[in-house]
Amino acid sequence: MTTPATTTATSSIANEIQKQVSEKRPFSLSRFLKDRRFLYCVSLTAFFGIWKYIDYTQVLGNGIAAPDAVVAQIWKLANKTIAGKSLWGHIWASTYRIIIGFSIAAVIAVPLGVIMALNRYVNAIVKPVFDLIKPMPPFAWISCAILWFGIDEPSKIFIIVVGTFVPCLLNAYMGIRLIEPQLYDVIRMLGGNRKDEILQVGFPAAFPAIFAGLQISLSCAWTCVLSAELVSARSGLGFIIIQGMQLSRPAMVLAGMVVLAFVAWATTLLITGLEKKLCPWKREAVQM
Amino acid sequence: METSQEYKIDCQHISKTFVQKGTQRVHVLEDISVNVKNNEFLVILGPGQSGKSTLLRIIAGLETPSEGNVYLDGKEVSGPGADRGLVFQSYMLFPWKTVLGNVELGPKLRGISKNERREVAQHYIDLVGLKGFENHYPHQLSGGMKQRVGIARAYSNNPELMLLDEPFGQLDAQTRYFMEKETARIWETEKRTVLFVTNNIEEAIFLGDRILSLQGKLPGRMHAMYEVHLPRPREHTEMKFLELRQKITDASELTL
Repeated sequence: MTTPATTTATSSIANEIQKQVSEKRPFSLSRFLKDRRFLYCVSLTAFFGIWKYIDYTQVLGNGIAAPDAVVAQIWKLANKTIAGKSLWGHIWASTYRIIIGFSIAAVIAVPLGVIMALNRYVNAIVKPVFDLIKPMPPFAWISCAILWFGIDEPSKIFIIVVGTFVPCLLNAYMGIRLIEPQLYDVIRMLGGNRKDEILQVGFPAAFPAIFAGLQISLSCAWTCVLSAELVSARSGLGFIIIQGMQLSRPAMVLAGMVVLAFVAWATTLLITGLEKKLCPWKREAVQM
Repeated sequence: METSQEYKIDCQHISKTFVQKGTQRVHVLEDISVNVKNNEFLVILGPGQSGKSTLLRIIAGLETPSEGNVYLDGKEVSGPGADRGLVFQSYMLFPWKTVLGNVELGPKLRGISKNERREVAQHYIDLVGLKGFENHYPHQLSGGMKQRVGIARAYSNNPELMLLDEPFGQLDAQTRYFMEKETARIWETEKRTVLFVTNNIEEAIFLGDRILSLQGKLPGRMHAMYEVHLPRPREHTEMKFLELRQKITDASELTL
């Protein structure tokens, strides 16, 4: 099934035709200065310029590394090993924890949220416990996790599960709860039963909210994995950052942060791509 | 209680009271008795807050009356069903389904084979003038087109009774006139018993065989029944049209 990006309809209904207008305009300096892409460049140049200047003037002492030093450090990390792992190995170590923890949370929390929204008895039993745990920051679990699971992988995965569970469940729950009740009426008037209501309306209508929950969970997952790795780890991007701090090498700390940002961004793109594929009816996001 | 078979719909002494927040009682309808003949176009006319939509939802089976009964072909209505097609004021299309997907949903839920339901859906998509838009999603359509989909979707189940709940309330005045003409055309092509709820006097006269007017404040009571003996297709500017409009306007002002 294909979705046309714009409706270029030719129809007999004269007052209901949409048209796309695009023209080429000649170059002018004032328009160039107001161009969005030009302003993006100005913004980024200023950011890196100020960063470089701070490093040059040593306002923060030796605590900061210049942008080019950070890039050089990333290059260096990519070509050597720390604690027996290359940069890719460390990226994979963090990503692997996220995949496992995030999957466990999503597979349990999303269906649980959906069932809670559909069945008030399940809701009445699960909700009080959930409300009790909900406000607890995931980082507060770290000591428990280490006591229960030791300092190895399971404790880190546990932290991720705890941190991502709440947004996954809440969004799935709200996604079902906020469905326009008249949509169910449509199904009932067309001769459908309760099963049709859930399959034809409940799931598809809650889909965007469930995906929003997964997006939020994923960024929570990166926060959690970093927290866990900062406390105790022999691999992962958090480990690189801690190493940089202990060796007093700001370039290494910043390099770890930059790589982390890139990887987290890439995983977000993955979810967005999946959502676009599964929800073709969603409007294109309005350009910022 | 037995009811005569000659009426398609027979409402007997319908009253409805909603209970809000556990204690507050809202009396919405009082003692409505009305019947509709086969293939008749009945318009229920009333201003906002006159309970007309509630009356339609009771006939649809989505609400149960507090008192009284609704009979469809002599059988008591006990819940919603595919023998009645409902068109909503706010369209209520499924945004995740294409035009075709929306229209073929009724037959799909009744387990009709894919080829057969495609054929039925295509027939009604053509009837409402949406040929070529089968694979569009609702957000790509204008308001008038969305309601065409809503009408096609209700028709595709081949219901005996069409219920339209202020279907053109969200449209601009021009599109509204146009859609009224379209409704008359579609009804002439595929005759059904129709109950059409509106707050617009002109729309009521343009479309209805008979007009049931409700009193203008809660609880909704029957105010008057008008028979419209104008030949179709009707014109908004005909002398008789305007006379009837004046008559209904004058009468409804008295109730305020």
